[in-house]
This record gives sequence, structure tokens and C-alpha cells, in this order.
Amino acid sequence: MGDARLHVISTVTGDDTHVRHGDHMDTIESVDVVFKAQRKLSFSYGAVFFAVTLAIPAASVWWESWYAVPIWGGFTANYLFVALVYYVFLWTMAWTYSKQADRLDDRLMHMAADMVVADAARAHDEPGEGEQR
Amino acid sequence: MNTIAIILVIGLVVFTIVLSIFSRRFTRTTADFYLAGRKVGPFSNASAISGDYLSAASFLGVAGAVYASGLDGVWYAAGFAGGFMLVVLFIASPLRRFGEYTVADFAFGRFGSHRIRLITVLAVLLTSLFYMAPQMFGAGTTWQVLVGKGILGMDAYTSGVVVVGAIIAFYVAVGGMKGTTLNQIFQFWWLMFAMLMVVFFAFGNGFNYPNALADASEQPIVNTKQLTAAELTAVNPETGKTFYDDAATIMTPEEMAVVDEFIESGAEGKVPVALPSSNKLHELRDMLFTEPGHRYNAFDQFSMVLALVLGTAGLPHILNRYYTNPSGSAARRSTFWVLVFIGVFYIAAPIVGVAGIGIIRDFLADGGTLNAPTVHGLLVKPDQLMPTLGEILGGQWLMGVVSAGAFAAMFSTVGGLLIAAASAIGHDVYEKYVNPNASEAQRVVVGKISVLGFAAVAMLIGLAIPYFGLDQAYPALIAMMVTWAFSVGASAFVPMLLTGIWWKDTTERGATAGMLVGLIGSISIIFLNILQQLGTIGKDGLLGFVGSLTYPVLFTFPLGVLTIIIVSKLDGQLPKNVDRIWMRIHGTASERYEKQYGLDKVGSMFAKHE
Repeated sequence: MGDARLHVISTVTGDDTHVRHGDHMDTIESVDVVFKAQRKLSFSYGAVFFAVTLAIPAASVWWESWYAVPIWGGFTANYLFVALVYYVFLWTMAWTYSKQADRLDDRLMHMAADMVVADAARAHDEPGEGEQR
Repeated sequence: MNTIAIILVIGLVVFTIVLSIFSRRFTRTTADFYLAGRKVGPFSNASAISGDYLSAASFLGVAGAVYASGLDGVWYAAGFAGGFMLVVLFIASPLRRFGEYTVADFAFGRFGSHRIRLITVLAVLLTSLFYMAPQMFGAGTTWQVLVGKGILGMDAYTSGVVVVGAIIAFYVAVGGMKGTTLNQIFQFWWLMFAMLMVVFFAFGNGFNYPNALADASEQPIVNTKQLTAAELTAVNPETGKTFYDDAATIMTPEEMAVVDEFIESGAEGKVPVALPSSNKLHELRDMLFTEPGHRYNAFDQFSMVLALVLGTAGLPHILNRYYTNPSGSAARRSTFWVLVFIGVFYIAAPIVGVAGIGIIRDFLADGGTLNAPTVHGLLVKPDQLMPTLGEILGGQWLMGVVSAGAFAAMFSTVGGLLIAAASAIGHDVYEKYVNPNASEAQRVVVGKISVLGFAAVAMLIGLAIPYFGLDQAYPALIAMMVTWAFSVGASAFVPMLLTGIWWKDTTERGATAGMLVGLIGSISIIFLNILQQLGTIGKDGLLGFVGSLTYPVLFTFPLGVLTIIIVSKLDGQLPKNVDRIWMRIHGTASERYEKQYGLDKVGSMFAKHE
């Protein structure tokens, strides 16, 4: 089949406790670790993004030095931030977030794989205490 | 319209059609037709998303809004760009990991109900129509400005709507997502080229950004308007003054003589006048170019920002593009590049807006003449700034480049909307409910028919806008209608997507209720606003207050989220396989598997299926 994704989907097996893609497996416990770490990262960045984005109109309403005093030619701090600096802020946020999220993905992928291997080893060592996965 | 502009626009159209026909050879399956085979790499996808996103409102409207309103106009650019942060942080990667084809597929897969899939389809269609309407209106008005006359017995506006609609419907139906993607990549880079060319020519003409801003802020902003004699002489009961009185405080005696002559002649039609502006935010201050307050009061400063930032994550034609990425990580990288591309574009657009003030004023003062109507050294219609500045700075060639850019902006956005609508009808309804056993060929045919059908509806809406007088009710209709689409998307989809991805306890009833509240709430407020602008309802009472809300998102988004949380808590009926769903959204086994076998690498969009 020409579509790689379809090939991947066609190999998926599992139940409500785990999903297997070929030799790779997710368990609900390992995914929970991934989810919590990703949520912390995304919501931390989200909080900074919304704080800065909403601070601009707030300053536009209440801080005269921000919106009425020229600081470079005709640029007020307000105009300079909305027309130029805000984009540098967005690029920096997006770049650092993407890099951190990629690193997190990599770390969690190994962690998830290790957890699965450890679970399997434990189940093998203690067959009487639980079902083998 | 000049000859070079005609040649460049026709060249754009021919190239678009050739690309679509070329792509047709590689569109065999529904994954090809709707998702370009899921093989679009981050750079290409970012270019296509940017082309999808940058519509006529961005290409013509942002520079015009800055030209007319100063800092409040710049917010359009910043808000449009800021919306992608929400996408990269919360939506891009999980949505791609979940897989599927459309937003409705996500709703069905996450919540397991046919009801929510069909409601999502309805929301996709309505949001797409809200976004499509200003594009078709833009097609008609751009044709009016650039061509000036109709064809085949139609007037100029109707010709623009029909010709642009027909061309886009043809190339999307023929090329599917692959053709649309290729076209959007090309169209985006043409838009970027045209915008940067105008900026470079402005700097080459001696433009200095900080100094130009200082010049523009020496005097308060001057508003321009076209008024009939009756409107000019009608007394405002609140101020006891007429528009004529106001114009006399701004315009020179020579300019007022033209107005006097128009009134005395008893001629029908309208005359352009310059009027004083007021500061809606800091009422005691003059309305200077670099200060906030020309368009928005304190409430609207916040609600407009939220509408644009949240709305981007609720545009179905943008969200669908994330399924074309080969992996979740690639989806994030795509969004980063989108931010870079559109960031550069949106930094440039306000520069054009500022440059236009001095360049056009000096050009007219030196005795130059323009096709676009002017008064007091200003364009009467700010949306005409880009082509006008192109003509002044670079002659017919640059005007031609800009004209082709305006059509490219409409083509790329409407193309994406048609694919999104076709996915909703062809994939979400036909393949799932009407004929689940349809062959691949049948499915692709239905997708193409859906494109044609939706294009016809869009053309009808485009023609209906002037019929119902909406273009007269709103002075900046394109930008306003685009913001409505953002509002509907932000209210209907974003609460469902955010809670569906990040809150495991979201139930189907909660998500359905939240979507309906957001969808119905936002559309109701928008229609009340329209009725108020048309004078059908008054400004008093609760109805009057709700109708005065220009941007409903500040109310409808939190209302949608709250509804989802409350109903989900009361309901408590999680999908039976919620853990499996959760593993699908946030799990990494699939990506580990893809990495192991190199399946996460971008393939060729032009691989032929065996």
C-alpha cells in the first residue's frame, strides 16, 4: 500500500489497557505520563501567551506612557510592540515550545517503552500475581 | 484595468488550472483527494496553510485598515498571527496523532456519537459559508475595481463573483487536496512577493518607518466617507450638526467648493468628504495614528483580540490541513513555519498602510491623478490601497503583480474552504451515512460534486450581499465578515477541541451541548448585529445590547466551555473506550513505530498508487 499511515493503522491491535503498533506499545499508564508532561508544557506556554497578548490591550486602556509617548520616531511602545516585537515574541515562543515538545516526546517515548518492558518483565517474574500482557 | 495586469491575472489562472490538471494524475483515493496522501512536509504544508489563511482580507484589508485606522488596524495583523500560537500549543500535534480526515471525524472518534459528528458537519458548513461570503464579496468588488465592466451580460460585481467562483470550483474539483495544496503554495509565495515588492519599492522611494509614523501622528486621523446630498445636510439630533459642518472643519475651501457644487446641482449619487475622527477609547484625547481607539472602545479592544486569537483554531479549512502532516511533530514544525511566514507578511502589511499615507498625499499634491476616488489627499476606499500604491510606486507592472496577488489570495482561501466543505459533505455524510460501501472512485466523484455544489451556494451568497444591502450597512464589510467567521469557529469548535483533547472527563452530551451553545449563540448575536445595522431592531433593551456586540466571542467562547464542563459533570457518561481514545490522542507508540520504519519521513505527494 502506498500510504504509510494506512499501513501503520492496519497493524494496530490492543484493548482498553494498551495499544500496539507493530513492536511498539502504549499502556494507559505510560500515556498518562506523556499526557501530564505535555499538558504542563502546553499550559505553561499558553499562560505566558495569553498573559502577554491580553496585557497589550490592558496597557492600551490604562497606561498612558505605553500608548501615548513616542519612543522611536513616531513609534509608541504600544505601536512598536503590536507592529514588530509581538512577532518576535510569537516566533520565540513557537520555536522553543516546538523544540521542548520534541525533546519531551523523545524522552517520553523511551520512558513509555521502558515502562512497557518493565511491566512485561514484572508480569513474567510474577505470573501468579497478574495476567500477562 | 491595464494590459499588464490582465496578462498577469490570466497567467495566474492558467498556471492554477495547469497545476490542478497535473495533480489530477495523482488523485486516486479519498486520502489523496482530501489529505494529499498525508505526505505534505512542514515547509510545504506551512506555505499551503499560509496561502489557505491569507485571504483578500489580509492582502487588501490589513494594509487598508492600518491606512484608515492606525494602531487599531495593526491589531488585525497581530491577532491573525497570534491565533496560530493556540494551534501549535494545544491542537496541532494531538489532532494529527488522532489521525482521521476531518474535524467531524475527530468529534465522532473522540465522543463516539453520530449526533456530534452531524452537528460538527453543520458547524463546518456554516463556518465555511461565513468565511466564504467575504471572499466572494471581495471577488466582486476587486473585479469592479480592476476590470470595471461585466461580461456575458452580467454587471461587473456579478462577473467577478461568478468567474472567480467558477475558476476555483474547477481547479479544486479537478486537483483535489494535492492540486489545492500545490496551488496554495504557489499562491502564498506570490502574495508574499507582491507584498514585499510594494514594501521594497516604498523604502526605495525614501520611506522611513519611524519618521512616517511621526508624520502621520502630527494631526488627528481623518475619516473619509461617500455621502448623498441628503445625508450631508441632515442634522444629527445629538450634536445639532450636519456632516457638511463636520467636513468644513477638515476640508480646504477649494475641496468644500466641490461639495457645494454637488449639493447645488441636485445630482444623485454620492460625493466623497473628509470628516473628523473621535477617540473611542480615550475620549478626551485626539485620535492620533499611533494610538489605540479609532475603531475599538475598551470592551472591543479585548473582545477583538480574543476573537482573532481563538478564531484561528476554529477554522475548519485550517484544521483539516493538519491531517496532511506526516506526524504530530511535523504538525508543530509546520505551525512554527506558518508563524514565520505570516509574521513576515503581517509585519509588511502595516508598513504598506503607513507608507500609503505620505506617498499618496504627496503624489496627489504633485498633481498626480488616480483611478481610485480620493478626498483631502486620502483614498475614499482604504481597501484600494494595495493596487493604488503598486501603480504609484512601480507603474503597471507592480500594479499587475498586486492585482494577481489579490486574485491569488481569494483563490487560495476559497480553495481551502471548498475542500473543507467537500470533506464535510462527501466524507462525513456520504461515506458514513448515505453509501458506506461506496468505491474509492464513487467517493472521489461525490467529493467533486460537493465542491461544485458548495461553490454554487457560495456564489449565491456573494450575489445576495449587495441585494440585502449589507455592503452599505458595514463600511469595512470584508474584514467584518471574516471576523464573524472567526467568531463562529471560535465559539463552536474551539471549546469542543480544547476540552476533547485536554480534559478526559468530557462527555458526548457535554461536547454536543457546548458546540450547540457556541454555534447558535454566536450566529444569533451576529444576525442581531446585522439587523441592528440594517435598522430592523433598535439599540434599547437587552436585545439592543446583545445586538450591539460586534464580536460575540468574549461571551460565546466561555459560555461554550462552561456548558461543556457543567453538562459533562452532570452527565458523567464517558465513552466506554475512553482509555483507548486517550491513548490514540496522546500515545506515542504509533510515532515510535513510524520512526523505526522511517514512515515519519515526508514522501512525495506525487507517488502513484499501485
